Amino acid sequence: MKKIFLLLALGLGGAALAQVPPAIPASAIATNLPAAKSKPRAQTEITSDAADFDMNIHQAVYRGHVTVRDPEVKLTCDWMVVDLPATGSHLNHVLADTNVVVDFTDEKGETYHVTSARAVYDYKVVGVATNETVTFSGSPKVVTSQSTIESEPMIWDRARNKFSFIAPIMKSTAGLGGSGDTNAPMLNFLK
Amino acid sequence: MNLNAAKICLAAGAALWLLAEPGGRAQEKLPVGHGQDFTTESYFEPPHDRQIKMRLSGAEVTSLPGSLEDIRQMRLETFGVDGKLAMVVRAPQCTFAPFDGLANSPGHIELQTGDGKFHVEGEGFMWRQNEQFLTISNRVRTVIDMPAVKMNAS
Repeated sequence: MKKIFLLLALGLGGAALAQVPPAIPASAIATNLPAAKSKPRAQTEITSDAADFDMNIHQAVYRGHVTVRDPEVKLTCDWMVVDLPATGSHLNHVLADTNVVVDFTDEKGETYHVTSARAVYDYKVVGVATNETVTFSGSPKVVTSQSTIESEPMIWDRARNKFSFIAPIMKSTAGLGGSGDTNAPMLNFLK
Repeated sequence: MNLNAAKICLAAGAALWLLAEPGGRAQEKLPVGHGQDFTTESYFEPPHDRQIKMRLSGAEVTSLPGSLEDIRQMRLETFGVDGKLAMVVRAPQCTFAPFDGLANSPGHIELQTGDGKFHVEGEGFMWRQNEQFLTISNRVRTVIDMPAVKMNAS
C-alpha cells in the first residue's frame, strides 16, 4: 500500500555508503520518466515576510515565514532561494533552508510529514526524460501514518512519489512487529 | 514652460532614469515641475529601433526637494524585440532618486510577466537600478503558473 522505498545499505555496499555520507546527486537515483508533452498547469504560491529579486541572475531569495503551496504540497521554511526560469517555463532549482517542513498527501490518501534543515528541489528534462527530486539533508525525517524514518540524506522522487534512504533508522508506528528504533536492512517494507 | 512641455520633460526624464542601463549611462537631470496623465515610450537601439522597449505611464509626477521625483499610479511595461509584452510593474506611488538610481515606496507593488505566468506583489519596495535588484519588504506573495506535477502511486 505504501509507496516508500528503502535504498538499503546492505553488505559492502552499505558499508561503503555509510562511510560516504555526503549528499548523493539526485541524478544518481532519479528515475527517467517520459517527459510530459502537455501536462495540466497548476499554480504554485510562495509567501514570505520579505524577498529580494536579482534580475541579473534571475534569482529570488524569500526571507521569513516562507510558505510554498501547490495543489499537492505545502512547504514552510525560514528562507528560500529560487532560480527563476528565464523563459517562464518551470522552476528548476529551489533551495529551502532552516526549519524545513513539507506536508503532502498522495493520491491514495497517505500523509507524509517531512522535516529537515535543508531541502533542494531539482527539476531537469534530459531528452525525453524528466527528473524531479527533492533532496533533504540536515537530520531529515519523514513521518507517515505507519512509520517514522530518519536518513541522511533523504531523497524524494516527486514524480513517482518514492523516497530513497541511506542507512535509515525506522520506527514503526503501525505494529510491524517491533516498537523500537532499528536500522536493520529492510526492503519495501511498507509495500 | 507650459504644462504640456512640463509633462513631456518630466515623463522623458522619468523614462530616461528608469531605462538607464546598469553601468552608468549618463542620466538626464529631471526638470522641476508637475505633470499629469503622462505616457512615454522608449525604443531599442538599432537594428530594433522601431520596437518599443518600454512604456511608462502615470497619473501624476511631481518633483520633490533633494532631486527626488514622485510618481502616482505608475505603470511600467517592458517589451521584447519581438514586440511581445515582457513585464508589467504597477505601483500606486513611487519615489525615485534619479542620480542614485533608486526607487522606493512604502506602498503596494505588483509585477507580472507578460505571459501572466509569474506574478509578485507585496508592500514596500526598493529598486536599485544599477544592480537590477528589487527588494520587497513586507507580505510578499508570488504566484507561479507552471506545469503541474502529478505524483504517481506505485
